[in-house]
Amino acid sequence: MDDLISEFLTETGESLEVIDSELVRFEKNPEDRAILDNIFRLLHTVKGTCGFLGLPRLEAVAHAGETLLGKFRDGDLTVTPPMVTLVLHAIDQIKVILEVIEETSAEPEGDDGELIKRLEDASMGRSPEGAEAAGKSKPAADVEAPVAEVPVDVPGDATADDLPEGFDADLGRDLRPGEVSLADLEAAFNDTPAEVEAPADESSEAATASDAPKLGIGDFDPILGRELRPGEVSAAELEAAFGSAEAEVDVENTGADLDVITADMTTEEALQIAVAELSGGDDSGAEAASGGVKVSKTVRVAVEVLETLMTTVSELVLTRNQLMQAARAAEDEELKGPLQRLSAVTGELQDGVMKTRMQPIGDAWRKLPRIIRDASHDLDKKIELEMEGSETELDRQVLELIKDPLTHMIRNSADHGLETPEIREAAGKGPKGTIKLKAYHEGGHIIIAISDDGAGLNTKRIGEKALEKGLTTHEELAQMTDGQIHRYIFAAGFSTAAKVTNLSGRGVGMDVVRTNIEQIGGIIDVSSSAGKGSTFTIKIPLTLAIVSALIVGCEDQRFAIPQLSVRELVRVGAGSEHAVESLNGSRIMRLRDQLMPLIDLHEALGIGEAKFQTADDTGFVIVLDAGGRNVGLVVDNVLDTEEIVVKPLSDSLRGASAYSGATILGDGSVLMILDPNGLAGDIVSAMEEDNEADRAHRRAAETNDTQRLLLVRAGGDSVKAVPLALVTRLEEFEVKNIEVTNGQHVVQYRGRLMPIIPLGTKIGANEGGRQPVLVFAEERTAMGLAVDDIVDVVEERVDLQMSSNNPGVIGSAVIKGDATDVMDIGWHLDQIQSGGVQRAAQAKRRNVLLVDADAFARRMIAPLLVAAGYDVTPTGGLHEVRAIADAGDNFDALVGDPAALEKIQSEGLWADVPTLAVTDWPDGNQSDNLTEIVPKSDRGALIAALDRVSQDEEEAA
Amino acid sequence: MSDDYLTESELNAEDMNEYVSVRIGNQLFGAPVLEIREVFTPQSVTSVPMAPAEVAGLLNLRGRIVTAIDARRRLGLPPRDAGDKGMALGVERGSEIFGLIVDSVGEVLRRPSAELEPVPAHVDPNWRSMVKGVHRLDKELLAVLDVSAVLGLADTAKAA
Repeated sequence: MDDLISEFLTETGESLEVIDSELVRFEKNPEDRAILDNIFRLLHTVKGTCGFLGLPRLEAVAHAGETLLGKFRDGDLTVTPPMVTLVLHAIDQIKVILEVIEETSAEPEGDDGELIKRLEDASMGRSPEGAEAAGKSKPAADVEAPVAEVPVDVPGDATADDLPEGFDADLGRDLRPGEVSLADLEAAFNDTPAEVEAPADESSEAATASDAPKLGIGDFDPILGRELRPGEVSAAELEAAFGSAEAEVDVENTGADLDVITADMTTEEALQIAVAELSGGDDSGAEAASGGVKVSKTVRVAVEVLETLMTTVSELVLTRNQLMQAARAAEDEELKGPLQRLSAVTGELQDGVMKTRMQPIGDAWRKLPRIIRDASHDLDKKIELEMEGSETELDRQVLELIKDPLTHMIRNSADHGLETPEIREAAGKGPKGTIKLKAYHEGGHIIIAISDDGAGLNTKRIGEKALEKGLTTHEELAQMTDGQIHRYIFAAGFSTAAKVTNLSGRGVGMDVVRTNIEQIGGIIDVSSSAGKGSTFTIKIPLTLAIVSALIVGCEDQRFAIPQLSVRELVRVGAGSEHAVESLNGSRIMRLRDQLMPLIDLHEALGIGEAKFQTADDTGFVIVLDAGGRNVGLVVDNVLDTEEIVVKPLSDSLRGASAYSGATILGDGSVLMILDPNGLAGDIVSAMEEDNEADRAHRRAAETNDTQRLLLVRAGGDSVKAVPLALVTRLEEFEVKNIEVTNGQHVVQYRGRLMPIIPLGTKIGANEGGRQPVLVFAEERTAMGLAVDDIVDVVEERVDLQMSSNNPGVIGSAVIKGDATDVMDIGWHLDQIQSGGVQRAAQAKRRNVLLVDADAFARRMIAPLLVAAGYDVTPTGGLHEVRAIADAGDNFDALVGDPAALEKIQSEGLWADVPTLAVTDWPDGNQSDNLTEIVPKSDRGALIAALDRVSQDEEEAA
Repeated sequence: MSDDYLTESELNAEDMNEYVSVRIGNQLFGAPVLEIREVFTPQSVTSVPMAPAEVAGLLNLRGRIVTAIDARRRLGLPPRDAGDKGMALGVERGSEIFGLIVDSVGEVLRRPSAELEPVPAHVDPNWRSMVKGVHRLDKELLAVLDVSAVLGLADTAKAA
């Protein structure tokens, strides 16, 4: 059976079960919109998938049912039991058809006209009288006829003659002109070797021929390492066929023959568009045919085994945490060493097991080419699907969860995004539209971008629709930017398609996608320009199983908040510069000149009294990222950070939207995990309009015109500045927890040892036993700089007014009206080389493109260059670089990783611009193409070289 | 409670129902033995604000999170005295474990299934939905609990 069909059967079966029980619930609570929305979405998905798989009968029934449900949803009809019964009949009918499909891979013959008519009548407002009586007998009568008609043979044996003309059981739809049915193909293929099988040659080839097991569709092929798809033939069979047909086949010929066969098979187009898959199959086929026996380096393991392993490791991590905590309390020196080792080994094991759970995102993309192909056929559009980064890996669980949203979005792009060839040509574009799917990693996240070169979002129509749905007012709309208006497509029940098509356009689209993505802690955004196309960007965490969480206290209870959604922590109350203000009872806080709404956890959960009723109350505000917006959460206390294993909530707790799960801490206690989106839901939608300004502001902050600086006191009274971009976190450690090994200060931090270097001060000098530390962390390494006091965060344009001969200081700049030393963090961190930069700020700021895949290196170099008077555009990889090149930006120099620079040059981007490679191993990199190579550790040399090459450039220009 | 219940009949084991006897309020209940995974003392139950009233909270049972359901709440009885933790019956449903909190747990009783009588019609409908039937013991009545119903899982159990 076709992969797609069997997957469809499982999925749909599950959906229908849910619909059944939900419908019953809905009948009891006709006022509950959430249930209706859920039913509607599920049925919509069923219908959509039917359309793509070419199951017209199912689709028609589902469509009629959905139309009726739509009337309920819009309030056009009131819900009555006979109506619900009618919908249930439609669901039953779908189930009946599904059963036949499961047995025969084909939709049964038959007519649902009567049922559909009744559904339609009901939609028109005519009461479905007698529906119950008629409905009950109907599906039963229908089943018998189809079962009798459709042969129950397995696909391979079914001869085309048994089927209605032009109907292909394997494809599950009628053949298109020019297509050959799979059964025919296979028959033809089988006949061919039979004719040449006669030679009784005892050669090895002949032996292979007889040994080669005959594999059918869906059978597992050991050479390919996966199941055969319809239209594919096992490599062993191929080999056998060639072997018996022609004893002396050389490798080249084999390759050619293979091509021919593939070409033949492409008549069954739908599958062959999976380019990557097929070429992979061809390669291994050719290799096998050439006689090479491949020793497999991989082992197939059942998913359940991995899941069990993951659970076990999670438990191990918890037990480790418990042990560590107990040992810390007991202060047993003897245990310390072994425990450290246990901790490290557990960490490695955890990493290893996580790796086994990783799957390339291409697995989730596999069914997209077919969907696009069929869509282009149905819509009469020419569509090309480009996929980039399909090897990007992410956790299995996440992968499963994004499959559906991705499919939905691709369909949307095909249906709404791209124009028909005529319109495209009229607009001066090529007739063929392109949908581009791109995935890449970015610091613990995976980014998926879906872009099309279609017409872009119709701002005017979206605005009108938003007004119509009462989501906004004329005045508000007039104030909005295009981006703000575009974001309405994520609002529930929003659709702009002029006509409801089979593919999409019922307004259950993007809000479902958004909900699904937010459920796994992801973010979705859209950018679009009229006439050029739209890009949807999804940012999701790599894994859901283990997350780093902040433990907070509220009354006598503790809660966990995923660190991913925590932007910063603010202490509020007496002695703090931040204060909570109140506006008509709603609480607000000023955060860097912006008003931020506050939610009090006490109120949100109904425990204890809300804070800040009096002026001298103190507490913490956790600035949360809720759907891209800042929302402050008021808690009593911030206690700890801990790695936690997320456990799903029981059904009895699903209704409580404040939580996303539960976890067991190191001490064995159970904690609820708070869901920022659930807590802040209402506030966030109200904040939609403030959002754009906020973004623009942040973008400005990121363009390096200004630098965000952290002001600290360290050794003396004068304030020193540190570029904030370099600092990962600010922490406070108890002085007694800071230990000395090998003459170096270290502290246990997140299960590892982190070295701490004093920034011109003595560690532990602080009174009160707390030591503020700036933490610089990457995935595996962390370093700390100890300071006396953290003063403030400012945003300033850094112009180094005075250079400095003092190691550890880049220079001085005027910050907040005072001359302030800007610290050279790099020098302090390696303390190897002095980075005395002997230069003043440039009169003209020159542009530098920084390319380095290593974010740490990027963050180390960028501030240095900025401080030296360059405008820096940091990029992480080639896809970003290409995007910048497409935008037509110019640079005075390219700085970065030698390999990346050479790649850029080989692509002919910025051909005349000098390139300056920065590397840890300058001796190992000799290249004629690069202008200069400097060691990473020598900051002075880097600036000097950059000055030199950009100067040359200027003179040359 | 004494051994009297056991000696009463030595009929074929297939015709016998086995119950874990539990006390909730003043009433003796029986939970079918086969449905009970284990009996434990609920310790350090984390209360869940905003959760349905019958959810007493979550607790850690050897590394697994257990949802504790308070039987008194479900049956509409007044809460236990503060400090009285009661006992919990561990029930596995799908991949989840639930803890049904009762006042105390007694011995296992065997009663012939033929002796199970329907719940009298005038009993509160809420109770009737959670009690499968009644056994007449010497001194009092043993109400047989429908464990799924008491856990509030009747719907999901059917769907699964």
